[in-house]
Amino acid sequence: MTHEYVVETDALTKRYGRKLALDHLDLRIPRGRIHAIVGANGAGKSTLFRILLGFLPPTAGSARILGRDSQRLTPEDRGRIGFVNEEHTLPGWMRVNAVADMHRRQYPRWNEDAFRDVLGHYHVLPEQKIGQLSRGERAGFNLALALAQGPELLVLDEPTLGLDVVAKRAFLESLMYSNATDDCTVIYCSHQMEEIERVADNLVILERGRLMHMSAPDEFCARVTHWVADIPFKGPDPRSVPGLLQLQRLDGLHHYLVLDQDEDFAEFLRASGARSVQSMPVSLDRAVNGFLAKNHASPDAQRAHA
Amino acid sequence: MARTQALMLQIATGDSRPISKQIVDAVRMKIATAELSPGDQLPSVRGLAQQLTVNPNTVAKAYAELTAEGWLESRQGLGLYVATPRQRLSDAERSRRLDEAIARFLHDVIALDFPPDEVQARLHREFLALAPRKSA
Repeated sequence: MTHEYVVETDALTKRYGRKLALDHLDLRIPRGRIHAIVGANGAGKSTLFRILLGFLPPTAGSARILGRDSQRLTPEDRGRIGFVNEEHTLPGWMRVNAVADMHRRQYPRWNEDAFRDVLGHYHVLPEQKIGQLSRGERAGFNLALALAQGPELLVLDEPTLGLDVVAKRAFLESLMYSNATDDCTVIYCSHQMEEIERVADNLVILERGRLMHMSAPDEFCARVTHWVADIPFKGPDPRSVPGLLQLQRLDGLHHYLVLDQDEDFAEFLRASGARSVQSMPVSLDRAVNGFLAKNHASPDAQRAHA
Repeated sequence: MARTQALMLQIATGDSRPISKQIVDAVRMKIATAELSPGDQLPSVRGLAQQLTVNPNTVAKAYAELTAEGWLESRQGLGLYVATPRQRLSDAERSRRLDEAIARFLHDVIALDFPPDEVQARLHREFLALAPRKSA
């Protein structure tokens, strides 16, 4: 019954017209802990979630969630998966207590303590209509519902987008310290590195529908270094720079953000005419941004390819 | 029973040091400056995680590293305590780390163009400022 991976995809592909949203994606997310998925807009995160939850069929390949084919989920399977989307879509005309009652009836493993525990962070009254709640209150209510359901897997699609600092903190605290999440695997997608640094055990980087990297966040961070070289005149041809993610020329100095380079990179720079070379580690935010920026669409790049 | 010692520390996201490393560095510094003394109890993993709003596994990782290096010791079922000081590293390793630290320090200060005597004198004064607290 217990599978080693909560998510397993094999050559998962989704095509929208001329565009590949998922491109033969092979992804295995182990059970337990908090996994953050990052990627530029259009990297395929939301498409992946929709397929995993059975809302959308793949064009090719397969996806399994909690060991089940995502296209053949039973209501019982769905009860084991909690989902919170960025819009926190709940019926606006219903009252809070009516929605909670519906969920209580729906899920046999309903955990009332967890529900109250999470909702206690927000000023949500039972008689309020969902439509009258603020975005943060809706997010909190949504998370409370998802956690109270006692899921084995919790999928969160940019859950803290647009929340104020207090609501965001309450949300993260519920996620990390609520007893309800003790036996729960969390898959979480976000653009906010500050949050990922605090929250994630595992970092998954998607780009153009493919898996680019998966490890603990600090291991990814250690792959990226920032070098500054004083190279008179023109530096080396960017295409010849090993592992280049980003190149900037600032005040006459060449700044290189590179991937997987060791001390040999200093030699490369010296051989390219550098008079002085310095290197430093970078923050997670810088590492991920540099990594994603490399292949990010830009008008210049498109013109070059045209 | 000893009460948990408050751990007054700050972490910053967006730093090039991972959060677990920041915790390790801060605890080591507090022990070295006698802000934490042998026998003091550290906050629980969950407690410190909540204090800093970070993942409990991050704190667990930092505590494991501090324990492996001999800064902390765990007492079965009671929690983690500051260990009685003992030499935690081999002589060769201590010497290697000192060389490394000196090299880093030199890189930083060489460009500042102070006379070596003055740098040494200032360094000496900083050491003296630490010393009385350590022997207290």
